[in-house]
Amino acid sequence: MQKQGYSSSAVIMHWLLAVSIIFLFISSWWMLALPLPSDALTYREFPFQLHKNLGLTLVVLLALLLYVRFRHRPAPETTESMRPWMRALAIVDHVILYGLVFAVCISGYLSSAYSGWDTEFWWLVEIPNWGYEENEELNMFYSDVHLWTCWALLGVVAVHISGALYHAFRNDGVVRRMLRL
Amino acid sequence: MESSSATTSSDSNEQGPAWASWVGVVAIVLGVYLTASHGNEWMKWAVMTASTPASDQVPAAECPPDELAEEGLSLAECEQMVANVRNLVLSAPDWFAGFQTILAAAGTIFAFASIIAGAALVNYRTWAPAAAILTFGALAAIDVIGFLGTVNAGPMLRGLYLQNFLLWFFIHLMMTVGVIASRQARGVSTASHP
Repeated sequence: MQKQGYSSSAVIMHWLLAVSIIFLFISSWWMLALPLPSDALTYREFPFQLHKNLGLTLVVLLALLLYVRFRHRPAPETTESMRPWMRALAIVDHVILYGLVFAVCISGYLSSAYSGWDTEFWWLVEIPNWGYEENEELNMFYSDVHLWTCWALLGVVAVHISGALYHAFRNDGVVRRMLRL
Repeated sequence: MESSSATTSSDSNEQGPAWASWVGVVAIVLGVYLTASHGNEWMKWAVMTASTPASDQVPAAECPPDELAEEGLSLAECEQMVANVRNLVLSAPDWFAGFQTILAAAGTIFAFASIIAGAALVNYRTWAPAAAILTFGALAAIDVIGFLGTVNAGPMLRGLYLQNFLLWFFIHLMMTVGVIASRQARGVSTASHP
């Protein structure tokens, strides 16, 4: 018999992803209002490195989450709690959500790689720029992709949260699947 | 006559009452946001402290045209970004950065705890209401301390922070009182209808 909810590791990764994504949004709005960098003005140094580190970590974390979710599939929700159109919407929302998280993180990294700024993964390992030369046009292109996928991600996150709230207010047991303790 | 134990799905199910599910999921959504928000506040003051010279004199803005074009900024905006940092540094008393860092660190921990308390409420563990009251109460206390500290920090920081502290205080107060009242009502209901 399949378990009713997701595995504990999937639950932990889901909530770490949630907090990290919201943190990245909030911190990016703040850090982009900090002074442009120079030798004397270093306010952006730490927040930008942290932003890149968290973004790259999210790629790994999401890949792990997807692996765990496909390896340990929980029993499907009951038909009373999830109508067919709701199930279809949930699947579409999840696919777009995962795709956007990957797109946001990878476009952010590529923008940084073409900007000429180094990326030190958690201040330990220097991530190579994959042999790319500094290229302002590609930096701007991936920066735009990063920006628009971010706004799209925020919209899809809102749909995701709306679904969770809907099921929680109905008290139909669907959200408990991602809240196992 | 209908069975007195009959309930609708919106009232409760075998895993817990509806109020616990509602409050729990609201606590989780707000907890995720607040963990990120307090975490950012923590980082903000750590960065301000580490990057501002000991003299508190913020260096002049450097705004090369290519950087302005890349960021989509005007020269005035670029200079204002430095002025904003200067304003923050000038308006903060010596104790404020440390105060705000400690408060934001505590807020991050309790906000994360509120996610766990929310999950426990949704699952309706026996310890969940007590944990929720403790966590939401601690967050309300942090809001009060932050409010009182900021009141004594000068008009610019008051303008920046006070309304946020007040809003979060009311939210945490509602959640704390809501759990207390719901728990008591459930106790009364159980006592009346064994």
